[in-house]
Amino acid sequence: MTPPVLYALCAAAIFGIAVYGLLSRPHLVRRLLALNMMGVAVFLLLVAFARRDPEVTDPVPHAMVLTGIVIAVSATAFGLALVRRLYRDTGRTGLSESRDP
Amino acid sequence: MTEAFSWVFDGLLVIALVIVAARVVFTPVLFKAIVMFIVFGLLMAIAWGRLDAPHVALAEAAIGAGITGALLLAAYSDLVSVRRRRPHLRPRVRVLRRHAFFAASAALAFAALALVLLQVPAPESGAGTLAVANLDATGVAEGVTAVLLDFRAYDTLLEMAVLLLAVYGARAVLVTDSEPRPDPWPTEGRHGSMVAALVGVLAPLIVVTAGYLLWVGAYGPGGAFQAGAVLAALGVLLRLTGRLEPAAASSWPQRLVLVAGLIVFSLVGLATLFAGGTFLDYPEAWAYPLVLLIEIALTVSIALPLILLFSGSPGLATPAPEDRR
Repeated sequence: MTPPVLYALCAAAIFGIAVYGLLSRPHLVRRLLALNMMGVAVFLLLVAFARRDPEVTDPVPHAMVLTGIVIAVSATAFGLALVRRLYRDTGRTGLSESRDP
Repeated sequence: MTEAFSWVFDGLLVIALVIVAARVVFTPVLFKAIVMFIVFGLLMAIAWGRLDAPHVALAEAAIGAGITGALLLAAYSDLVSVRRRRPHLRPRVRVLRRHAFFAASAALAFAALALVLLQVPAPESGAGTLAVANLDATGVAEGVTAVLLDFRAYDTLLEMAVLLLAVYGARAVLVTDSEPRPDPWPTEGRHGSMVAALVGVLAPLIVVTAGYLLWVGAYGPGGAFQAGAVLAALGVLLRLTGRLEPAAASSWPQRLVLVAGLIVFSLVGLATLFAGGTFLDYPEAWAYPLVLLIEIALTVSIALPLILLFSGSPGLATPAPEDRR
């Protein structure tokens, strides 16, 4: 076991927790939080694997993660705008499929 | 001894990350979940530092925890009148069965990932080795900046398009023709003179920090993303303290800043294309000035969309002089 493997396992655990949150929480902001955590888990995995060779740190996953962080904040902001509009128009914070808004 | 200490540190950090992640999901109060998410981002920034990824640590602390947290809290203040959930009408057994299913999916996701991750072989040589070997051709001494703006510049170009799309998408969704909603951040009488003075001292320092991060990106941790995020944080601060006000439309300079990154990037790409090369393949002598030019444009074009997304308004304006305290 090396530190990158430890962090990769941590990424898997966070991903699992976030999957549960995404499925079990009807509130759309909670789902956005869970989606964000899934994204961060993937980032953690990429960066952890960039460290597997202790001699060199691979810059390509780092650049991908930097791009990913900006994309994630864009998507989150757009998602939050959709939730605010949904709430303004219908007074609900969940989708109609979920029966307890 | 040092190694044992770093193992203890890594172990504690990993445990804290998992606990905080669980708190985000399981806490019944939305506000707590948002705060826990911000804490999660900050802990994650430490993890990036431990994994020798200072670029990512800077970006995560500024964007992942800071700006995302501000956006979440802004949305929360909009949804704050949401009543507590009504009690379940469904039989408890079905709810339990559903949640057992969700938990099983989550455990399955973890187990499958962990099983695969423990067996992935280390690569012999990948894109990273190539990137490090060809660093000289890019005019910058920092691998991550070289990958972002030279080797994989196309990704960064399209990322700017995504950010712009998010701004216009959010504007289209939020701006309706009903009367304007009251600003969630009323400034009248909310802030004493201390806050105004503090912001006055902080603002120039933040601008200098952003400029430093932008410049240092060529040979150390930093770059357009981090600088843009720090500038965006300044914008959030000014917006919260009333130095910037929402406007019904964006002015021409604001529109220009919004698209500057995309336009400068595309023009450089087209120029390299017509100069006989490939799209976004800079000639070696020009590489550094071109990268720097693109980075400056990217910085402002990352900062302004984030401020507008936080503000939730199509544009920004400075208050009229007589309104200023």
